[in-house]
Amino acid sequence: MSTATRTSSHSRAGHRSGSREPSGHQTPPGSVAERAPRRRISPERIAAGITLLALLAASIVALDNIGIDPAKMARSWSNAERFFTRVGAISFPEPGELLYLTGLTLGLVICGTLLAAVISVPVAYLAASNTTPGNGWRAFARFFGVLTRAIPDVVFAMVFVLIFSLGALPGILAIGIHSIGMISKMFADAIEQIDEGPRLAIRAGGGSKLQEFTAGVLPQVMPSWVATVLHRNDINLRGSVILGYVGVVGLGMQMSFAFKSLDYGLGLGFALVIFVLCVVMEVVSSAVRAAMLGIQPTGRGLGDRMLRGLRRIRPGSARLGVRAAAASPAAMLHRPWNSARVRNTVWGWIAAAVVVGSILICNIQWGDLVTVWAKVPAIAVQFWPPSFGSYEASTMFDAMGETIAIALAATLLTAIVSIVVGSLAARNVAPNSEVRGGMRLLLVVVRGIPEIILAIVLIVISGLGTQAGTIALAIGGVGLLGKLLADSFEEVKAGPERALTAAGASRLQVYAGATVPQGLRAMIGHTFYMIDCNIRSATLLGIVGAGGVGYYLLNASQGSHYGVVTAIVLMILVTVLLVEGLAIWMRRVFR
Amino acid sequence: MTNPQTPTDTVITLSSVTKRFGATTALNGASIEVKRGEIVVLLGLSGSGKSTLLRHVDGLEQPTDGSIQVLGENVAGLSGRPLRALRSKVGFIFQQFELVPSLSVLENVLTGALATLRGPRLGLWSYGRANKLAALGHLDRVGLLDRAYQRADTLSGGQQQRVAIARALMQNPEILLADEPVASLDPESSDQVMALIREIALDRGLTVLCSLHQVDLALSWADRIVGLRHGEVVLDTTTVGLTKAQVMEIYGRVATTTRELQAIEAELLADTIADSVR
Repeated sequence: MSTATRTSSHSRAGHRSGSREPSGHQTPPGSVAERAPRRRISPERIAAGITLLALLAASIVALDNIGIDPAKMARSWSNAERFFTRVGAISFPEPGELLYLTGLTLGLVICGTLLAAVISVPVAYLAASNTTPGNGWRAFARFFGVLTRAIPDVVFAMVFVLIFSLGALPGILAIGIHSIGMISKMFADAIEQIDEGPRLAIRAGGGSKLQEFTAGVLPQVMPSWVATVLHRNDINLRGSVILGYVGVVGLGMQMSFAFKSLDYGLGLGFALVIFVLCVVMEVVSSAVRAAMLGIQPTGRGLGDRMLRGLRRIRPGSARLGVRAAAASPAAMLHRPWNSARVRNTVWGWIAAAVVVGSILICNIQWGDLVTVWAKVPAIAVQFWPPSFGSYEASTMFDAMGETIAIALAATLLTAIVSIVVGSLAARNVAPNSEVRGGMRLLLVVVRGIPEIILAIVLIVISGLGTQAGTIALAIGGVGLLGKLLADSFEEVKAGPERALTAAGASRLQVYAGATVPQGLRAMIGHTFYMIDCNIRSATLLGIVGAGGVGYYLLNASQGSHYGVVTAIVLMILVTVLLVEGLAIWMRRVFR
Repeated sequence: MTNPQTPTDTVITLSSVTKRFGATTALNGASIEVKRGEIVVLLGLSGSGKSTLLRHVDGLEQPTDGSIQVLGENVAGLSGRPLRALRSKVGFIFQQFELVPSLSVLENVLTGALATLRGPRLGLWSYGRANKLAALGHLDRVGLLDRAYQRADTLSGGQQQRVAIARALMQNPEILLADEPVASLDPESSDQVMALIREIALDRGLTVLCSLHQVDLALSWADRIVGLRHGEVVLDTTTVGLTKAQVMEIYGRVATTTRELQAIEAELLADTIADSVR
């Protein structure tokens, strides 16, 4: 170790003094300690560090206030046992009805996600630095994205349920508008990462701006775009549960009815169905991403592994397909039906069938889209001006504070668990492949659980409010943060790890000395993303009775106090934007 | 814009073109004339302004000063549809080929026809049968007809560059610009590609302006050589009777810094060794 250090410093010194006289550099006077440069830290970094510590302290205080008491939890567990004996067996609706509701929920989510995807294309075009027609357009598109992301889909759903007669349309529009924020951002990021060369070639050949985009940009971003849409579809499926509470049709609505009528067995049955559906969807979308797009499977996900078992076609087999003798251009006019083309066509038709099926099962009242505009002014008036109605302002601010406290406490718990689980799920940290596989499986299953379902079940079972919400968010977060951390750890450079191993460091020392420092930036970034997500999710928890401002939101909506809804939404908006701004700042400082 | 075109007219005219990017001057009062059907090589070390000059001819850059006439049009004054119409008559071949990797070879060739089509095109079918046949014909010309339906990124570098040539042909160009077309290729594919460009140019009477940094190749391949240094034209001569030593001498005389001289010496040495090995 010491020889290695000496040689490297020696050769560096030699370089600086000119290669002609490698051994002739002079040692300046003074001890090493005096000559060593002082460590400089920018004030911005100090400020960011203090903010980080303050947030950590706030999270600890929040966790303490919420009082997740193991003893109390244990007591409530006996509650749970009594509860289950009282409820009896979990029950399910008729198979036919269940099938219809499942199809309706899936169709509604798919339609909503597709709507968002379609709207996101122009938004992303305007927001991406290399395609935007001007900085004004860019700022507008980004602001539009942030706004749609910051307003919870439940709020959109409440408004649209009011405007439209019952049906799938409010859900589709709510999901569609809320998802624009994330999808357009990811779309824009993909556009900014393209290779500009092919696009330049189209321009050099006389292509118009639009042609540059369709021929030079679109083919490059398509795989990443489809992956984004599938990913968002998973998120929207989990989020669709809560929409049921504000009157969007589907499994979520039936579940909320069951719980309201105290039919806990049936409610839990619906919860179980939704949970299974979410996990299955997660696996299917992973498989589709790999199969349809020819994306090199990372081999990490559960879906990837299942797919590998199902399909024994190696990537790259497509290139062997075309070997027909090419006699003349006319003979080559039609693409040969090789295995790759057959497969692509089949997948294409399946995708088209899924989309058409989704639209059909939603039974969209297209006429509503036309007639609804007459109702809009009357409804808009009800939402303005914002007011706290009969509530004290302090009550509302306390509720918002409680929401933030839940989010912070949950993020802290999530981070602690995720660092352990995420590390063990990383190939380069896990002691063996069994541990890694087990952790990855755990992450997929946890990710599949909608937080709201978890919160409802915890509340129903233990009767706890805020605590149940916090625990639900914390557990749900592990699925996301654990996966992000595991991926970040696997992406670090292997060189430093090998160097430490070669120097005789233990496994834990390699982890602490090479893996974590390289992944630290990603860890901070992902944790802030988690806070971001948790603030949004926490606002909704109250809707199912798990504490915070969501309770008042639902109450105001059901009591037709729409001014109060506006006031609460504005509060949520300000909070989310603040956290988002903070996250952007942190990511910039700790780059 | 109104210049009448005669068979032996000048198709590219750069008159004291200067281009500055911030503090750096890429072109410094460069003037060149290229006649119809001429095959001209731009020779120079990297950073001498060859790429910038080529990009000006296609209107991909606007000059800071000076004027550019291409096919009778004042390029600096063009924008929108007229600029695109001019670009369609000028094929551009890039060092890194710049094919869309995920599209089929055929669809990449078809993108050369975009200037003659209105609106966006997605998928092979959207280009129509006539265009497809023409594209397949160009692929046949470059010897890659059997690869038409393969993804572009499954081809070797030399094959990709030939697809790029087919894409340029799809434009029915009058001028072919090539920016270091073989710098990323192995010697064998490099010979193939250069021979192909020359053959096609002679067949169709194309004007070619091609940047290179290999003196040997330039001497054997071009009708005329234009040498660039620091964005200035320092050499403009036909290759008839010109020896390599003369070119290098001219180069050496204009090189001002030691590093440049060393670079030229090294290049000369490497070429000499290569010659003796041959």
